[in-house]
Amino acid sequence: MKKFIKWIFSGWMLILFFVGFFLFWEYSIPLFDIPRYILPAPSEIVLKGSADLDKLIYYTGVTALETVLGYIIALILGLGFGIAISFSSILRRTLYPFFVSIEMTPKIAFAPLFISWFGFGLMPKVIIVVLVCFFPIVLNAILAFNSLSNELTLFYQSTGASRLKTFFTIRLPAALPQCFVGFKYAAINATVGATIAEFIGSDKGLGFYISIVTGNMRPDLAFAGIFFLTLLGLSVFGFVTMMEKILIPWHISMKRINK
Amino acid sequence: MKNFIEVTELKKVFGKGKDEVHAFGPATININTGEFVSILGPSGCGKSTLMLMVAGLLDSTSGKVEFESKLVKGPKTDIGIMFQDNTLVPWRTVKGNIELQLELRGLNLKDYQEQIYNILKSVNLEDFAERFPNELSGGMQQRAAFCQAMIHDPKIILLDEPLGKLDAMTREKIRADFQKLWMVKKPTVIFVTHSIEEAVQLSSRVILITPRPGKIDREIKIDLPYPRDLKVKRSTKFIEYVNSIQEVFHKYGVI
Repeated sequence: MKKFIKWIFSGWMLILFFVGFFLFWEYSIPLFDIPRYILPAPSEIVLKGSADLDKLIYYTGVTALETVLGYIIALILGLGFGIAISFSSILRRTLYPFFVSIEMTPKIAFAPLFISWFGFGLMPKVIIVVLVCFFPIVLNAILAFNSLSNELTLFYQSTGASRLKTFFTIRLPAALPQCFVGFKYAAINATVGATIAEFIGSDKGLGFYISIVTGNMRPDLAFAGIFFLTLLGLSVFGFVTMMEKILIPWHISMKRINK
Repeated sequence: MKNFIEVTELKKVFGKGKDEVHAFGPATININTGEFVSILGPSGCGKSTLMLMVAGLLDSTSGKVEFESKLVKGPKTDIGIMFQDNTLVPWRTVKGNIELQLELRGLNLKDYQEQIYNILKSVNLEDFAERFPNELSGGMQQRAAFCQAMIHDPKIILLDEPLGKLDAMTREKIRADFQKLWMVKKPTVIFVTHSIEEAVQLSSRVILITPRPGKIDREIKIDLPYPRDLKVKRSTKFIEYVNSIQEVFHKYGVI
């Protein structure tokens, strides 16, 4: 009960902050005489945005598809390569340094190339999302699968268990917390990748919408697009965080105690 | 008659060429069934290295280890092992961690439920079976780890400074727990420690290891009755053992 009151209270603080923030925004526009083509008031964004709601919802779906598809492919590839590199000394000496050096390249710089190679459709956007999500996932997975304590390694060796059994009972669960660091980082990257890919070349999606309405001097609609992008980003991140809580509840509670 | 464990001219050198570090040996040790042998030496003398080589978890540079006349080539599996940093995994409860040992060995969990309860009871952890390791104190964690190392009734128990990180009072309590369990089940124990008192209190024999590269200085048979409680620890004989070992290490400039 005490916890619940505390939670409500901390929730109220946040809500109060947001209300204050939007009130300040709303009333500083007439106060400082800011032209509406520079920065529209929140009320105007809601009003004009709701007139365009059908389009916004459709475009959110388009961007969501690119984001989620790319993220899932990156997840499968990243974990697959991560595990392969962790368990193969040949790959660790070849692919791993290759990935580390590519990690330094801003992946988004490839976007125009992909558009020119694969056209304006879904595929180039998905590829770009895969690219910006793959590296944090694979590098964290490698770190995760290589950081099992010496003691646990000696312990499972002393039991004579098979490699497969050890993998599923010890190595995989032990690696999950560090893997999720990569999954979360990639979840943040995913919507960014999809949006930029749409900026560069597309005929639908929220990134496309924002770049078009900005060109038409409609920052109110651009903000409406940004609002939906934020919702999308929060949903993806929220889903990954939820999966973390479901898959490794012991890790969450450990963090809480250590605080 | 052959001994249960025979270690012959065992030696370990880490690295090669310029970076070569002579970590241990050569040393020859014989251990009988049911003995509680302490490997006592200053830190860095290679006593943990010796233990891992005996368990087949680390390759030796030269020499050999034999169990019942059989040469050790890979990791030994009829052992229980325990380290200073415990091998409890955070995603399993105390009971789940004990079951981990059984699961990895492909043993049937149903057959062991009563034994799990009994071993937890013997170290006063029966009420904590469903708790997670991070909810326990360091001493309780080590007691749980001891149950994990013992549950499959191994013939050999290897303990690598299992009490190293605990406070003095907790150490005292867990030593008594160890002794109790050893007296009942009589496994062969190799106990690596740098505490002279601990070695004398628990062991039937103490092997003194010199500073690096560790060699055997001498072996001392501890001729005191079990259980060795506080009364035994205050006896003249106990104190004499401790003093004589202290003198050996004083000679090496360790203390």
